[in-house]
Amino acid sequence: MNERYARQSFLGPRSEEIFKHCRACIIGLGGGGSHLAQQLAHLGIGNFRTFDADHVEDSNLNRLVGATQADVDSKTPKTVIAARLIKGINPNASIVSIPKKWQESAEYLRDSDVIFGCVDSFSERQQIETIARRYLIPYIDIGMDVHALENQFAISGQVILSMPGELCMKCMGFLHEDLLAREAANYGAAGSKPQVIWPNGVLASLAVGIFVQLMTPWQKNHRRVWYLEYDGNSQTVATSNRLAHLAGTVCNHFSSLEDLGDPFWGVDLYGTVPDEFAPQR
Amino acid sequence: MRVVFKVVDRLLERVRHDLARPHEFAAERVGFFVCRAASLAPEGVVVLAHDYRPVKDEHYLDDPSVGAMMGPSAIRKALEFALNNKAGMFHVHMHDHAGRPQFSRTDARESAKFVPDFWNVRPEMPHGALVASKNSLWGLCWYPGMSEPIEIGEFVVIGSPMVFVGNGQ
Repeated sequence: MNERYARQSFLGPRSEEIFKHCRACIIGLGGGGSHLAQQLAHLGIGNFRTFDADHVEDSNLNRLVGATQADVDSKTPKTVIAARLIKGINPNASIVSIPKKWQESAEYLRDSDVIFGCVDSFSERQQIETIARRYLIPYIDIGMDVHALENQFAISGQVILSMPGELCMKCMGFLHEDLLAREAANYGAAGSKPQVIWPNGVLASLAVGIFVQLMTPWQKNHRRVWYLEYDGNSQTVATSNRLAHLAGTVCNHFSSLEDLGDPFWGVDLYGTVPDEFAPQR
Repeated sequence: MRVVFKVVDRLLERVRHDLARPHEFAAERVGFFVCRAASLAPEGVVVLAHDYRPVKDEHYLDDPSVGAMMGPSAIRKALEFALNNKAGMFHVHMHDHAGRPQFSRTDARESAKFVPDFWNVRPEMPHGALVASKNSLWGLCWYPGMSEPIEIGEFVVIGSPMVFVGNGQ
């Protein structure tokens, strides 16, 4: 074993090899995603696909790990900062940086072993989960929010593992039609959401913990569904009560054969489809 | 060309359990993974297993020269299913040992005979043949437009923990 990883050797004799060959995809490289990039690089993940269409702005410097004032001045893309961060820790990592919306290059998601979603909207979470289910990829979602209450603010957040074949975010009650409809109705009106560094760090660390359990056999009791709720005021994390009520429930949101694979697969035999959807020969 | 085969562990367990059942006269059982596909950048395909269709007891032929011989009804049922459901069909049987399995000469010969027939009903889909062991997999994929089958380079078993076979692991 490489000396660098000697102190995490308890994760299993093949953990270094597993991480080296793993392909991790991070969507959103802001407060949460930058923490993930850093931690996954430290773990020894060998292959990254990173998506973010934005460049760094001054308002990001309160939480974006790896970003500097010089990056703000030069409007450095967030994908470049993530790549620099990862390469600084693990020069051998292979990185596919995509400075676009993930929907514009979704073909790069397909061979990922896991997708981390660090996005703001519920509709985008739903889209990522749908894609992840379509290509049988575990999806780990993280997110935080700050709510104004009567006399104070409340920080909350969640980490969810949506596993193919298991409960999805709709089953868990995290996504529902009313929420998506309200978000669609308010589209563009929300403005900048409050964000701070430490809840992002907590949530990203929990996500990495779930990821490590998913990839290595270091624990005997492996959970297949995770829904952790973070209370930033009391600084506590707990499994959502909703899971207890869902024991034995089977997800029927992604159960059809139609929910798998390229929706346009094979259409090019009979007509034309965009190259990215066409099977290569 | 890179070929990846993905299957959820619960489905694979169901398949192994079914294939391990004794048959009245056949020495082993066979069945089909029902699959869809997606292209991989820059060049490749990921085959995604959705379900499993075992060959019925009465659709085996009594042929002591091989472990299991499917009769015409078994092939016809699988062809019908592929046609009606736009499915890629991956034949599967099991070798009763641990470690990476391989096709026997009979497996290779018989697969080459019947797998390309699925292109008669679903020419756009990849089809194939797999062999499972107690803890691993191996297989070939017949890809549209290619006359020779391609060895499946990576198997990913979706579970907790995930299992990767191939891809240097």
